Amino acid sequence: MSINKQQHTPAPFLERLIFNNRPAVILICTLISLFLFYQAAQVRPSTSFEKMIPLQHPYIKNMMDHRNDLSNLGNTVRIAVEAVDGDIFTKEYMETLRQINDEVFYIAGVDRSGMKSLWSPNVRWTEVTEEGFDGGEVIPQTYDGSAESLEELRNNVLKSGQVGRLVGNNFKSSIIDVPLLESYPDPQDQSRLIKLDYQQFSHELEEKIREKYQAQNPNVKVHIIGFAKKVGDLIDGLIGVVMFFGVAIAITFVLLLWFTHCFKSTLAVVCTTLIAVVWQLGMLNVLGFGLDPYSMLVPFLVFAIGISHGVQKINGIAMASGDAPDALTAARRAFRQLFIPGMVALLSDAVGFITLLLIDIGVIRELAIAASVGVAVIILTNLILLPVTISYIGISQKAVRISREEASKNHPFWRLISNFAHPLVAPISVVVALAALGGGIWYGQNLKIGDLDQGAPELHPDSRYNLDNDFVIRNYSTSSDVLVIMAKTAPEGCSSYKTLSAMDQLMWQMENTEGVQSAVSMVSVSKQVIKGMNEGNLKWETLSRNQDVLNNSIARAEGLYNGNCSLAPVLVFLNDHKAETLERTVAVAKQFAEEHNEDGLEFLLAAGNAGIEAATNEVIASSETTMLIAVYAAVVIMCLLTFRSLAATLCVILPLVLTSVLGNALMAYMGIGVKVATLPVIALGVGIGVDYGIYIYSRMETYLRQGMALQDAYYETLKSTGKAVLFTGVCLAIGVATWIFSAIKFQGDMGLMLTFMFLWNMFGAIWLLPALARFLIKPEKLRQA
Amino acid sequence: MSEPVLRRTRFDVGMEPVAASTASRLLPLSKVCALLALLAGLSLPALVQAEAVAPAKPGYAVPSERAVHSLLVDVVRAGKRLVAVGDRGHILFSDDQGQNWQQAEVPTRQMLTGVFFVDDQHGWAVGHDAQILASRDGGQTWQRQYRDLEREAPLLDVWFRNRQQGFAVGAYGAVLTTNNGGQTWEEISERLDNPDAYHLNGVTYVEGGGLFVVGELGLMYRSADWGLSWETVASPYEGSLFGVGATGQPGSLVVYGLRGHLFRSSDFGNSWQAIRLEAENGPLEFGLAGSALLEDGQLVVVGHGGSVLLSRDAGQSFTVINRADRLPLAGVASAGNGGLILVGQGGVHLATANGSELDQQ
Repeated sequence: MSINKQQHTPAPFLERLIFNNRPAVILICTLISLFLFYQAAQVRPSTSFEKMIPLQHPYIKNMMDHRNDLSNLGNTVRIAVEAVDGDIFTKEYMETLRQINDEVFYIAGVDRSGMKSLWSPNVRWTEVTEEGFDGGEVIPQTYDGSAESLEELRNNVLKSGQVGRLVGNNFKSSIIDVPLLESYPDPQDQSRLIKLDYQQFSHELEEKIREKYQAQNPNVKVHIIGFAKKVGDLIDGLIGVVMFFGVAIAITFVLLLWFTHCFKSTLAVVCTTLIAVVWQLGMLNVLGFGLDPYSMLVPFLVFAIGISHGVQKINGIAMASGDAPDALTAARRAFRQLFIPGMVALLSDAVGFITLLLIDIGVIRELAIAASVGVAVIILTNLILLPVTISYIGISQKAVRISREEASKNHPFWRLISNFAHPLVAPISVVVALAALGGGIWYGQNLKIGDLDQGAPELHPDSRYNLDNDFVIRNYSTSSDVLVIMAKTAPEGCSSYKTLSAMDQLMWQMENTEGVQSAVSMVSVSKQVIKGMNEGNLKWETLSRNQDVLNNSIARAEGLYNGNCSLAPVLVFLNDHKAETLERTVAVAKQFAEEHNEDGLEFLLAAGNAGIEAATNEVIASSETTMLIAVYAAVVIMCLLTFRSLAATLCVILPLVLTSVLGNALMAYMGIGVKVATLPVIALGVGIGVDYGIYIYSRMETYLRQGMALQDAYYETLKSTGKAVLFTGVCLAIGVATWIFSAIKFQGDMGLMLTFMFLWNMFGAIWLLPALARFLIKPEKLRQA
Repeated sequence: MSEPVLRRTRFDVGMEPVAASTASRLLPLSKVCALLALLAGLSLPALVQAEAVAPAKPGYAVPSERAVHSLLVDVVRAGKRLVAVGDRGHILFSDDQGQNWQQAEVPTRQMLTGVFFVDDQHGWAVGHDAQILASRDGGQTWQRQYRDLEREAPLLDVWFRNRQQGFAVGAYGAVLTTNNGGQTWEEISERLDNPDAYHLNGVTYVEGGGLFVVGELGLMYRSADWGLSWETVASPYEGSLFGVGATGQPGSLVVYGLRGHLFRSSDFGNSWQAIRLEAENGPLEFGLAGSALLEDGQLVVVGHGGSVLLSRDAGQSFTVINRADRLPLAGVASAGNGGLILVGQGGVHLATANGSELDQQ
């Protein structure tokens, strides 16, 4: 049963069921809307970390198993206070630093005992003397801001070994290290624990620290980094995206009005589509999902898809209104004509989304489910509720008149476009397309897996957070990309010589791997302490075989081994988190583990942001091909079922292939990697992109069957639906294009790629489909059928 | 250019110029040749890579490009060659005044603490696990002569009289000697009056005197009969002494240790004179760790605060600089071109004759 046959045979049952019970349809929809609106109001932003990572990957399993043992590695915020002119050894700078230190101390959620800065008493200098260790606070008790005490401070800083850690390598800034408590006692009621609110904490840092002290002392600049700050900025970015939704609605409304020339039906389309969005959000809450940075895309998509189907409905009703006695009849006729093609298009969208379930990452799966639900909802709202609504309110006479005029008048623009089906133009188009395909494949080889930018990949490279991060990396001996390898032993086994010496070898192996800056573990501390116990003699800066010496030496390595000394992390600091760097370092660590794992000593991969990214990259690399095959298989089957023709399927699918290839090339050009955020774009682009082809081809086939020549058939197709197709493409693009301006980098990437996919798929369908049809479709055959 | 580089292997060094010259000669030639060059270019990285991942022999020091920048604690000259030892069994040698270094084949991954060459071929290195290694090819390959894991302690310094007779000292009062070039080592610790087994940090020979050993708590011992008997020397100091060096004048030596303490004797330890060491901001307070007597008679001492001390009068007075990076230093040798080779944290540092950074001049 092909579409065009359907259009001429009535679909009596469903149509009768709906249009004979119009009040009931309205009532049921109202009730559902009320319920789901209530549910939608409960939806909360969720930034669950676990959903963004592949929980089934062995690295992540290892990490989750030892999560508590690694907790000391810490949730820390680092505040770097920079002296803009001169260095930190001035009275004014030290005073501002002291005030900031005190202010941070009283912010809720700060682990006060662990705070470290030049002003905290636990930051000391030590020195070996004839009597043993000598030491004191870095800021002398007698500090009074005088030149002498500042000079003493400078000497103490040099002796303290904090250069590169708490004090910048160029002495122009110093850091306040602020460990955080995930939950802290309520000041009103000490027995109750309050969970740290990252967003609020981040805002407090901005208001009480950055803004206040930069205003108070113009010679300081405050830079703040750390997980809590990043998450705070991300949540702020999420809220900003809600504004884009308003912008998308406003633009769409204006375009819709221009397209339909009818305020009533414009309002009806926007309202039913918004109802679809509310239902989708409500369903999200019913299913127990929150709104994460990825699934936030879904309301935009639902809105865009809903509008585009609404437009076709209105277009259909307006055309049907010409010879229909009343609005109800027009609505029924349009319903009869468009329900099945609408269903097919929406189902192919849904099938595209469903293939995303193949990827073992929580946020992508939720995105797949949420988007599928959203598309199902559109079938109810825009294919059923919208025509029923229009059957009551009707379409303005002006719109009907314009639609009738359009149908009869000559369209030079579409006439020009129809030349794409011309026997001389078609071969040129195909050659150009093949060249673009070849070029795209060639350039697309540069496409990388994973995040490619420095700093926090969630945020733009020039975001405040990443600039701060860049400042800290440049001025301190530190890196924000850490691969953690866990050494696991029997309880109390972590301090044995065997374990420590194996860790030491691993560290050296890693440090000799390209892309590694340095490695740190309890071994590093042990060596330093042993050297200290031997009066700073460099000849002792190595592990001892004496177990008592080792036990003593790790006493100060807090946080670098767990409570019962059965797990110790090796922190490997990387230059960057490019896929090659991760692959290379992980491979070295893996090989080392294979060679050195034995009874009672096991090296486990991996934790740290680089470990997580390595696992995510592996999952993405392995699911990319599977997903492409699945999504194309799905749309091919969909097309074969609809058209019962391989040639027709090729005409629809090949332009999509070109778009996918060029999309890859564009990503390579823009420096966007294949990652959690961009992988779904491929499925969404193909799933939604196939709509255009289905719509254009099914129309064109009708005209071909009526005996028209290819170019004439194409002209007629464009005349009746070209505008709707163009409009649909623009609508979809607007829905996602607003994302390009998101403060969150990956949302921007998603927006950019989807905009490209939607527009180029539309262009591909209009340009390439008729050219391919010239070669693949035999109109004579269709006529015989 | 002050950054020394480590050549991966001699084979590698040989390969690079060949490839470079091939490529440059091919530039003006025909396309066929260019294609061949491309092929050569393609195969070269693969070859180098295969070398880089080639694993070290089990138990041997891992070949590493970073060795030249990681902790080294002693450096000496073997004829014109420089040989440095340090962490992870690293022994590096240079034949071009320290510009380029190659890593020797060494059968240990433990830290080596001292090295001594009697001529340009024969040398010994000591280190942790009470190891003694020997080389007969100017430091390119090394064989283990002695090891004692039971001690759980390092040897800390070594000195050889000739190819046959030598002495090694170390932690917990260890003194070892050989009379057959190290084929057998005999423990002679009990010949020294050190009942509490304090660490012995340094050993050297003073012309016109004999052997001299220093250690913890200002301990000093001397032997005028090549180690057969040892006499305890009355010390002017109670803190640790990290090293001892002859000044080139008969019977004259310096000892040095914690907190900038340096003492000089011109009568083989019968009497001592404390030498005042003034840095830019007052008396030097950093520990002193190693010394060398240069060909031109200058005496250089280096220490933990990046200190470089220079004496032109056989140790009676010193000029002091603390290097800007303050990285602890442990050993020094003449580069052979007027400059100095300093080793310590951060590996090899090339320095001017007065010890400051080359590129600051």
